[in-house]
Amino acid sequence: MTALLRPLLVPVLAVFTALVVGAGVIAAAGASPWDAYTGLFQGAFGSARALSETAVWATPYIFAGLAVSLAFHAGLFNIGAEGQIAVGALTAALFGYGLPRWFGSDLPALVHLPMTLLAGVMGGGLWGALPGWLKARTGAHEVINTIMLNYIAINMVSFLLNGALKDPEPGNVIARTPLIAASAELPTLLERYRVHWGFVLALVLAAGVAFLLRRTTLGFELRAVGSNPDAAAAGGIPVVRTTVIAMALSGGLAGLAGAVEVTALNHRHELGFSAGYGFDAIAVALLGRTHPVGVVLSGLLLGAMRNGATRMQFLTQIPVDVISVIQALILLFVAADVIVRKLYRLRTPGERVALTRGWGA
Amino acid sequence: MELRRLVAATAGLTVTVALAACSGGDRPARPAAAPGSAAASTTAAPATPKPGERPDCAQPEVFCVGVVTDVGKVDDKSFNESTWRGVQRAQKELGAHAQYIETTDPKDYAKNIATFADEHYDAVVTVGFALGEATRAAAKQFPDVRMIAVDQFQAPGQEIPNVTALIFPEDQAGYLVGALAAMVSKAGKIGAVLATDAIPPVWRFGEGFRAGVVATNPKAELNIIYHNDVGVDRTFTDPEWGKTTAHSMIDKGVDVIFGGGGKTGNGALLGAAEKDVPAIGVDTDQYFTVPEARKVLLSSAMKRLDDGVFDLLKASKDGSIKSGNVLGKAGYAPFHDMEAKVAPDVKAKMDALAKSLEDGTVKTGVAPVKPNP
Repeated sequence: MTALLRPLLVPVLAVFTALVVGAGVIAAAGASPWDAYTGLFQGAFGSARALSETAVWATPYIFAGLAVSLAFHAGLFNIGAEGQIAVGALTAALFGYGLPRWFGSDLPALVHLPMTLLAGVMGGGLWGALPGWLKARTGAHEVINTIMLNYIAINMVSFLLNGALKDPEPGNVIARTPLIAASAELPTLLERYRVHWGFVLALVLAAGVAFLLRRTTLGFELRAVGSNPDAAAAGGIPVVRTTVIAMALSGGLAGLAGAVEVTALNHRHELGFSAGYGFDAIAVALLGRTHPVGVVLSGLLLGAMRNGATRMQFLTQIPVDVISVIQALILLFVAADVIVRKLYRLRTPGERVALTRGWGA
Repeated sequence: MELRRLVAATAGLTVTVALAACSGGDRPARPAAAPGSAAASTTAAPATPKPGERPDCAQPEVFCVGVVTDVGKVDDKSFNESTWRGVQRAQKELGAHAQYIETTDPKDYAKNIATFADEHYDAVVTVGFALGEATRAAAKQFPDVRMIAVDQFQAPGQEIPNVTALIFPEDQAGYLVGALAAMVSKAGKIGAVLATDAIPPVWRFGEGFRAGVVATNPKAELNIIYHNDVGVDRTFTDPEWGKTTAHSMIDKGVDVIFGGGGKTGNGALLGAAEKDVPAIGVDTDQYFTVPEARKVLLSSAMKRLDDGVFDLLKASKDGSIKSGNVLGKAGYAPFHDMEAKVAPDVKAKMDALAKSLEDGTVKTGVAPVKPNP
């Protein structure tokens, strides 16, 4: 039992410490931390709708958190989830409204919806594979390349949303695509609530990623390349191919985050949606210690905080930016776990997880 | 160990990047006066709302007003803030209980409106065109809640009983400052630097301005330039273009500049300030949004959001509110630092003109949308 709980220790203490420091920030902003946190909790878990909205917020976090985690296991730091989400959302939206037009007739949802989601996966996957290939072939560091590709993705999407893919409805001044066809919409789980099948899909994929990493040859190869590429190469594992596949899978998961937001919630892609999920995903992955179960838990936690923030502001009128501060503190304490270990006098474990490699490795 | 440090440093860097991306960079500091004091006076104690202390909005005699901002802050010195000022007035004069929720992500529009509706708020004010769809959906879901939809034109035939859209006669505001520009210009050369005319309100500002100039001084040389050569995402965010366009106009002898359309228009005001030429802003009193241009800022073509919101809240409280579109008032901002440079007879003429436009004796002749060529 203790062996199962031990990995939770540092993340839980990091969250706790961040909430304590965050209480100081809230008090400094002139509100009562108790009321703020009560509101946060009520807003996140206090009613059926609150629970539903927490799941809605957690869904993209889990997908994108899995994306970042998967890359971590292959020794790659994917900071490009933001761009991969944007590309995935755009391709999904394009297939969502475009497929029936190209075929000239309506499609059954059984065909249209999977194709739309797959389009999002492919879009994000290709966008992720590119820096993977650059890293494997040329040694160009994926941290730099994924950051740069974020800018390219976001500006390219903006260009297309303002031009070729813009909703032609008269009077529309917003940079957005037309609505997707009903056959491409991902249905909700319950009537009157927004929680949708994407949440279930996220949980299934978390199990899938865990299975992939622990039980398959590809998963073994990913982890082998992640822990020591030279040893992996000596052992006959194709490092180049594995690196590209890792980044493609990672990008595909991020692309799916965007595709699910489009098919389940917004039913179109719009400029300015999803700002920041890709960056928050890094926090989700680190807080979840890159383990799929951890990612689900931390995705739910951050989703709950983002969702509860509305009610927190409703009750106390403190700016919702406080949530970003707390989230950053959590990330700080998780990444620099020495602080937490010193603070609570924990022993330092023998095994350390290497999350990324340096240049030219 | 070194790897560990790298991770920590990179993660920290990422947080900084993410936060910077979220916060949008150049947001002005939250002034203590406006929303801070508002929060403090919302009721005796919204800052420490214990159960029972919050007003029971379900009671018919308690009038509760919620504001859902567009993505942005309530003290944005623009639409959100003007709306909130109108609501604050309702607090003082109507005894309303008021709260706001600042939207952080467009997918939360519906949830934020529902947060108020669930608490039986009597009226919910949603700020900006982007909230149009969410507002209409929420109105159908909560038929007892009056939605006040700022800048969300309701298409004829598609009105919803509990939605009242507050829209503005931008052409009248443009007409007013056009007349002012024509009266103030000594050379009779006037310039307007605007974002794209594909956006109806911008076009109406521009055409109203043209009508105002021509009606006041038919011989004036008027040069209106729209930033139509770029996409919609760029046309409002190109202060450099606004500035250089204003400069080139001024170099050709223009001595009053009208700048409109987000940061692009602000750039034109800054360009005029650099050359010390009188400038006119748009939407809200830009004396407060572009302090760098204060010394040359003559006035601004204003949408009177605060008055419009207050009037609708008042009507909502006494039950006389109508559905569909309600036209708010246009106006022009005070002269501030330029007060001494505006002749008394110009001021008198502007007062008279504002009244005539409001009662309909003067018409701008501008169509609601740009006619197709």
